[in-house]
Amino acid sequence: MAGMDLTTRLGAIELRHPIMNASGTFDVLEADAVLQPDLLAGFPFSAYVPKTVTLKPREGNVPPRLYETAAGLLNSIGLANKGIEAFMEEDLPRLAALKAPLIVSVAGERTADYGVCAGMLADRSEVAAVELNVSCPNVELDGRALGCDPDRTRRATEEARQATSKFLIVKLTPNVTDIVALARAAVDGGADCVSAINTVHGMALDPWTLRPVLGHGSGGLSGPAIKPVALRAVYLVSRGLDVPVIGMGGVTTAQDVLEFMAAGATAVAMGTASFRDPLLAGRLVGGLETLMKERGISSAAGLTGRSHG
Amino acid sequence: MAARPAQPRPAGDGKEDAVKGREAPGPAALHDCRVVESRPVGAYRLISFVCREIAAAARPGQFVMVRESGPALDPLLPRPMGIHDIGSDLISILIEPVGKGSGRLAASKVGDRLAVLGPLGRGFDLQKKGQAVIVGGGIGVSPLKLLARALAERGRSMRLILGFKSRDQAASAGLFRDFDGEVFTEDGSVGSRGLVSEPLPGCLLPPPEGEPAPEVFACGPGPMLSAVARISSECGVPGVRTQVSVATHMACGVGSCQGCVVAAAGGYVKACTEGPVFDAEELKW
Ligand SMILES: Cc1cc2nc3c(=O)[nH]c(=O)nc-3n(C[C@H](O)[C@H](O)[C@H](O)COP(=O)(O)OP(=O)(O)OC[C@H]3O[C@@H](n4cnc5c(N)ncnc54)[C@H](O)[C@@H]3O)c2cc1C
Ligand SMILES: Cc1cc2nc3c(=O)[nH]c(=O)nc-3n(C[C@H](O)[C@H](O)[C@H](O)COP(=O)(O)O)c2cc1C
Ligand code: FES
Repeated sequence: MAGMDLTTRLGAIELRHPIMNASGTFDVLEADAVLQPDLLAGFPFSAYVPKTVTLKPREGNVPPRLYETAAGLLNSIGLANKGIEAFMEEDLPRLAALKAPLIVSVAGERTADYGVCAGMLADRSEVAAVELNVSCPNVELDGRALGCDPDRTRRATEEARQATSKFLIVKLTPNVTDIVALARAAVDGGADCVSAINTVHGMALDPWTLRPVLGHGSGGLSGPAIKPVALRAVYLVSRGLDVPVIGMGGVTTAQDVLEFMAAGATAVAMGTASFRDPLLAGRLVGGLETLMKERGISSAAGLTGRSHG
Repeated sequence: MAARPAQPRPAGDGKEDAVKGREAPGPAALHDCRVVESRPVGAYRLISFVCREIAAAARPGQFVMVRESGPALDPLLPRPMGIHDIGSDLISILIEPVGKGSGRLAASKVGDRLAVLGPLGRGFDLQKKGQAVIVGGGIGVSPLKLLARALAERGRSMRLILGFKSRDQAASAGLFRDFDGEVFTEDGSVGSRGLVSEPLPGCLLPPPEGEPAPEVFACGPGPMLSAVARISSECGVPGVRTQVSVATHMACGVGSCQGCVVAAAGGYVKACTEGPVFDAEELKW
């Protein structure tokens, strides 16, 4: 559309439109083998975030790992991944063919792991940015997520900051009393950007046996059901801090993208909605353009934070 | 700021937005399919929809991810459904309504539209020779129709054993009338009383000199599959192969979410891309 500027920036990283994918919900290497179009060449998202990797491989949680709730999805995947070494050896070279900036998501069972992982990626040119997933169960905190503790979050971010000069994103968990305090801790530790939100703690019972459905007992809720929670988090964090925010949590329609941007997001990520339609993101871009035009907004930059008044 | 549009617009997802001209054209992985048949088959419902691409590509044991087309966000995700049968441009699925998603799909009427991704997964391997012993339990009989047809085309001799809880489930045995099936029900209301595992040992006999060993194909509930796997591994006939199709909870169907895993000897494997058909001996029972 003439005169519309959908590009947006995360530091020096230019995105051709604001919609990226959320970690753990789109595996481009797997999907490329299954879906018709060539996904590496015609990637629908403006940046690619693979599934979180950890220092050592993780098997993940015992199944069942998924259960659908009202307009939402509960999952307890348990950060199943092949480990950062295998990722760097097997996946990174293949991802170099991708026509979008690559943001690698890492997590650790210990605070120090964040520095080690960030350091391993520091001089890989395929990697545009590093995202710290602080929702991993932490052995130093009796299995609670490090992202629930401002002090640990700051220290993990510092470790990563010292290990890399790449653009550093900290992905916030909503399962805290004061998400702005956690965001501030990340920025104090050296984060260039925060993303919000990861999944919301939740549980479902089997209607017959009345036992928890998920093998792990409880899990993380995602999808449209959590959008209001996420929107508020993005609003509060972007008002409270001076770094760009990547907004996510239930983004499913072009209207959702518009609202997350207006709430203060510089870019948005789509997760669960990709399970409804793996190529949805690409088509929402046109929808976003129309919605902006109808409202007399001509650029993504002009949309960000519109709700702040 | 521009004036508000006179009519509030529903915030649909991209597919539906296309109708209102607010979506750029782009590659579509999902097929938008029209339902042309919807009829009860006892406790189940047979739904057929038009999709030439899937019909041309589908292999026995593969599945589709299906949901209602439209912006409704509850049910949110598509559900995995085995491909029951194919015509030149038709796909049939057989649905057991057990909850929200399957219940809604089973309520599809002629003319409704479904959003369908597929064909997906690794189906049955049809390379081997030897007698085929096909074992189905409950709704697990569904994908065995396409399998039986493919084996018949290859001239494989087969035994088809279908087991159900009750008469209303056993009505689906009628879908297999082209094949000579044996029906078992737990309550004895149709066919023989008992479980499908009972006749199985009698099917797994040493083949005549120089002939390949029998091969088992099974789809059904977990306990049935584990009984089948145990019986065939203990039958004492060398070379018996057992392929099982497993059902797990799925979100993406394309290998993205890691939600659908089952335990195999070397760790978890994804049912959507590495299965749903596995060699029984690969899995942990
Ligand atoms: C490869 C594959 C092929 C399948 N083929 C068919 C088919 O041909 N016909 C058919 O009717 N069904 C089939 N299924 C099962 C079907 O996908 C589930 O029954 C359906 O997803 C349940 O969704 P729901 O919303 O109706 O149930 P929910 O409301 O989510 O759950 C209802 C109950 O069913 C259980 N459940 C949910 N999902 C599954 C599942 N995938 N397997 C076992 N139990 C489950 C839940 O734990 C709960 O107790 C298949 C599954 C797979 C993985
Ligand atoms: C199946 C599944 C797996 C996920 N795995 C990860 C992960 O590995 N790392 C991570 O940071 N977030 C993970 N998430 C969270 C998402 O990235 C996202 O923050 C969350 O789902 C909210 O967005 P959505 O509602 O659009 O899905 C996962 C979510 C789902 C549903
Ligand atoms: S259903 Fe998502 S990985 Fe198999």
